[in-house]
Amino acid sequence: MKKRKGKVNSMKFILRFLKPYKVKCMAVLITIIIDVVCSMLVPTITADMINIAVSGGSIDAIIQRGILMLLVSFLSGGCMLAGSWLCAKLSAGIGKDIRNAVYDKSLEFSSADFEEFGTASMITRTLNDINVIQQAFVMFIQMVIPVPFMCVVGIFFAFRINRNMGFLILGATLFVLIFAMLIVSRASRIFEKLQSFLDRMNVVLRENITGVRVIRAFNKESHETGRMKKTFTDYAVSAIRANRLFAGLDSLAMVTINICVVAILYLGGNNVGAGTMKIGDITAVTEYAIWILFYIVMAQMVIILVPRAIICKRRIEEVLSKTPEIKDGTGKLNDDINMPGEDGIGDCDVISFENVSFRFADADEDTLREISFCCKRGETTAIIGGTGSGKSTVAKLLLRFHDVTGGRILFKDRDIRDISQHELREHISYVPQKAWLFSGTIADNLKYGNFKATKEEMLRALQTAQSDFVKDLKGGIDAYVAQGGTNYSGGQRQRLSIARALAKKADLYVFDDSFSALDFKTDAALRHALEKEIKNSAVLIIAQRISTIIHADRIIVLDDGKIAGIGRHEELLKSCPVYRDISESQMKGGANGR
Amino acid sequence: MEDKQAYFEDEVFKTKDMKKTVKRFIASMGKQKARLIIVMLSVASYTFFTIIAPLYSARVVDLIWNTIKENAGSAAVFRITWDNAGRRIFMLLLLYLAAAGFYTLQNFLMSSFAEKLNLQLRNEISEKLQRLPLSFYDRRQPGEIMSRVTNDLDKMSEALQTGLIRLFVAAGTIIGSVIMMLSFSVLLTLIFLVFMAFSLTLTNIVSRKTLKYAAERQRYVGKMNGLIEESYSGRMIIKAFNYEKQSSQRIHSAAEELARASEKTDFLMNAVNPSIRFVNRCGMVIIVAIGGLMLLDGRLSSGKLQAFFQYVNQAGEPITEMSFMINTMQSALASVERVYEFLDEEEISEDSEGLRDINAQGNVSFNNVKFGYFPDKILMKDISFEARRGQKIAIVGSTGAGKTTLVNLLMRFYEVNGGSIMLDGTDTKKISRAALRSNFGMVLQDTWLFEGTIAENIAYGKPEATREEIVRAAKAARADFFIRTLPHGYDTLLCNDAENISVGQRQLLTIARVMLCNPAMLILDEATSSVDTRTEMEIGRAMNALMQNRTSFVIAHRLSTIVDADLILVMKNGDVIEQGTHSKLLKANGAYAELYNSQFA
Repeated sequence: MKKRKGKVNSMKFILRFLKPYKVKCMAVLITIIIDVVCSMLVPTITADMINIAVSGGSIDAIIQRGILMLLVSFLSGGCMLAGSWLCAKLSAGIGKDIRNAVYDKSLEFSSADFEEFGTASMITRTLNDINVIQQAFVMFIQMVIPVPFMCVVGIFFAFRINRNMGFLILGATLFVLIFAMLIVSRASRIFEKLQSFLDRMNVVLRENITGVRVIRAFNKESHETGRMKKTFTDYAVSAIRANRLFAGLDSLAMVTINICVVAILYLGGNNVGAGTMKIGDITAVTEYAIWILFYIVMAQMVIILVPRAIICKRRIEEVLSKTPEIKDGTGKLNDDINMPGEDGIGDCDVISFENVSFRFADADEDTLREISFCCKRGETTAIIGGTGSGKSTVAKLLLRFHDVTGGRILFKDRDIRDISQHELREHISYVPQKAWLFSGTIADNLKYGNFKATKEEMLRALQTAQSDFVKDLKGGIDAYVAQGGTNYSGGQRQRLSIARALAKKADLYVFDDSFSALDFKTDAALRHALEKEIKNSAVLIIAQRISTIIHADRIIVLDDGKIAGIGRHEELLKSCPVYRDISESQMKGGANGR
Repeated sequence: MEDKQAYFEDEVFKTKDMKKTVKRFIASMGKQKARLIIVMLSVASYTFFTIIAPLYSARVVDLIWNTIKENAGSAAVFRITWDNAGRRIFMLLLLYLAAAGFYTLQNFLMSSFAEKLNLQLRNEISEKLQRLPLSFYDRRQPGEIMSRVTNDLDKMSEALQTGLIRLFVAAGTIIGSVIMMLSFSVLLTLIFLVFMAFSLTLTNIVSRKTLKYAAERQRYVGKMNGLIEESYSGRMIIKAFNYEKQSSQRIHSAAEELARASEKTDFLMNAVNPSIRFVNRCGMVIIVAIGGLMLLDGRLSSGKLQAFFQYVNQAGEPITEMSFMINTMQSALASVERVYEFLDEEEISEDSEGLRDINAQGNVSFNNVKFGYFPDKILMKDISFEARRGQKIAIVGSTGAGKTTLVNLLMRFYEVNGGSIMLDGTDTKKISRAALRSNFGMVLQDTWLFEGTIAENIAYGKPEATREEIVRAAKAARADFFIRTLPHGYDTLLCNDAENISVGQRQLLTIARVMLCNPAMLILDEATSSVDTRTEMEIGRAMNALMQNRTSFVIAHRLSTIVDADLILVMKNGDVIEQGTHSKLLKANGAYAELYNSQFA
């Protein structure tokens, strides 16, 4: 029952994406019908020719039939080519549309939405899964759709010749069709299993290759061999069962065809004798039978692809039907960036956290608990804490990659849930923990921050971000950037990522652990340059190194999701044991921290 | 994706030594050989019966037609009786049933043949994986090895499953049919052959064109893949900078390009069969037209023409199929050869001899150890040092200095080329690898976790551990807090290469895994590189407690964590250039002092 529902859903899914291609779909159907009719006309005309010949007809009549047959062949050939062309167009178009839909949908996702699938899985869904669906779609059109037409037309032609012949073909067709359906319904269950065994095989194998050192270090070699052998055996057993089923159907179809041919001969002989049928028609009916049964056998091969396609479809649908966790607000922020209100610089809270708690869905503990603090214009606020203390989550919350589960975050006194995400992010510039650059040029990347940035603005941002190395590159700001920025060192990448953020004018600059890849000297120079460059904005620095935040106006110490202390460096050293711990761990070498 | 890439690059049809591979492949079949022989016999019989059946039916048709014509004058209606044609029709039925019977037999015999062979080779590979030296893995991408087990063997079984039968049947059918056709009419046969030659040429031309377009499509696929990967990896930035619209446009235009390229390739691929069918049909039209004229002349009987028609149908399809099948077979053979090459890779020495049960105290010494990944390229010339029970040995040096190699030697992941490594006075060569390794706990640079729950992963080295023990180990590794914030706590499934937790958290899990095993000696290979300083300190404290009376080897890039080490080994280009305590080395003002000052300047 569940499976039937799966199929109905699959149809709906495909129909939804077929909608824009109604005309093409109709055209494909027409080419298929014409092709089927032509396929049946060829043996019919052949029979006609034989009949004319044996009854001493004229040469002209035979030539006439020959020309007719050529025409039919041309027509059918043309239809087949047109059908292939339309089919290729359809499948390419559908693939493109689904891919675009999945990607556009992904843009609506919050971090949690996206992480639910995971990057690797999202990539597979957008690329491979759609390929599988496309393939199955093409095979379905070319091999399954013609079958019912073939059956109907073939049986109709057989009835036209003789009632007995008609019933014979009808019976044989029904017999094989019923068996094919029985086998297919059993096989599809096996293929579903087979697919999961195949995935499992790949996973276990990959684990064994990438984890070879760990496996050997823990002396787990025989355990792992056992795991692999089990997945291999599972796969082989299912594969053999599926093969047997198809071997059965294939053989059955063969037996049916052969018995059919003999039966046609016997019944046909009698009918010819009785004058109700002509001798050449025996060939025609034989051909009808062979064509029909051949098509049915070919069609069931497609079933191999179906379970995989259904799984892929399901995975894509999961993405498409997911309701984004975050509901976009509609509000606008009226005032311009860097133009503080009448109340002047310094007093105005750009962003404030009010008793903010955050808990991942289904987790039984808060990642952040009752956090309150604010970032003021012209001041630097810093957050420090260990791995898992929740400090990166703070940045994600204020950019609304996640929604708070308790309390609220105010941006210029407006709850950020009331503002549109677009509007909110217009006012914040962000440097992520992982410096990720896009393929293209350095200028392309800087334009992420400010689409209209002039060359001067870009150079200035680069200079502030201590990225003078760009000047020495071939092409300067037009130098090539590989995907992820891998052709630059970690420190260079980080500085470019900072430059990108600086190219954007914002009320709030968020640096999420962005200084860790820099050496101490660059770190200091950069902070110094920043002070001048963005003095009218609020700055939030999330850091691991005390030296990075030692001069901050306000340091927030996070420990296990709670605030362990707020204050300046000197105050915290006295009052906050967690801070002291961190400080001591970093000062141990002595010379650190300036 | 990388697998697919490798697959495309590997698409070599050529075998290096076909004869040898075929021989070995037949040997691999083992007991299944008998089965294959029966299949071959069955294929021969089947082909024979399918060839003679139309001939026989032609005779029956002619007989019926002649009888009817003779009877045409009389008023009696012709009916098939046992005597006039029935016996022959019954014979024909037997012929057809025999053909179908052999067909069924070979189908069922082959249905398990390929998969069984496949399973056997896969099992051999899985055992082989455990016996390969680590240097093998160092040289190769995971995708490359996986492609042996999946792509190559799948290709083999696909080719074998139906290909072998089809190839033999096709060959037999073509030869038999052509002989039969010749016996009916040389002229018609020649016409048939001309059209066949034409359709073969057509196939060749189209497939060459298809390859060109397929390469072009592959390029667009690559571009699309790169773009999608990039956009998903950088999605936070896309969103943070309000770049959604532009990014969407980029994807849409790449998708458009890909669609254009694929429709061309798909069309060409789909068009091959219809075109060939069309050519065949044209041939058929001519044959039937000329045959009809011959029939009119009385040079051909109607039964023979109908039989000829059937032979044309029978032989037409396999001819084009043959060239395709031969290609498939060749490429399958090349795949099998690659699998054999893999199975022939050099293995590590047997582990049977040597001490099986040791309870190490933890006294380790390197005596003039010499080692190179290739014997002719010695990396470590002469390393000697001594680590006593409970000591902390730190190994420092730049990337590629040989720090990881040193600990790998300790675990006997590689064998030394000279000198010796002693554990409690016994040469580690004389201790079985399993016994040696069970006394070490290891936390590696790349944090490997397998698909399973967090609890299962922590208990990897000690599957019988209770939940309490697991939680205790996790707490000691400071992993308990984040584990409890995960959706299902300790029963959270790690999948997708454990994307649901961060790198630092993964590292904590691998530390918990070692904690649980409680080994005599510890190896920490940059284990704390993605954990921040404070977490590192906390782990360090837990480790210190755990390491009481245990020897530990620490590779760390942050020198602050190793200033308290009992012995610091400074490595460069594979050798230890300095050793001593922190203060001693600072005083010496050598390489260590320079390294230390550069980090904290």
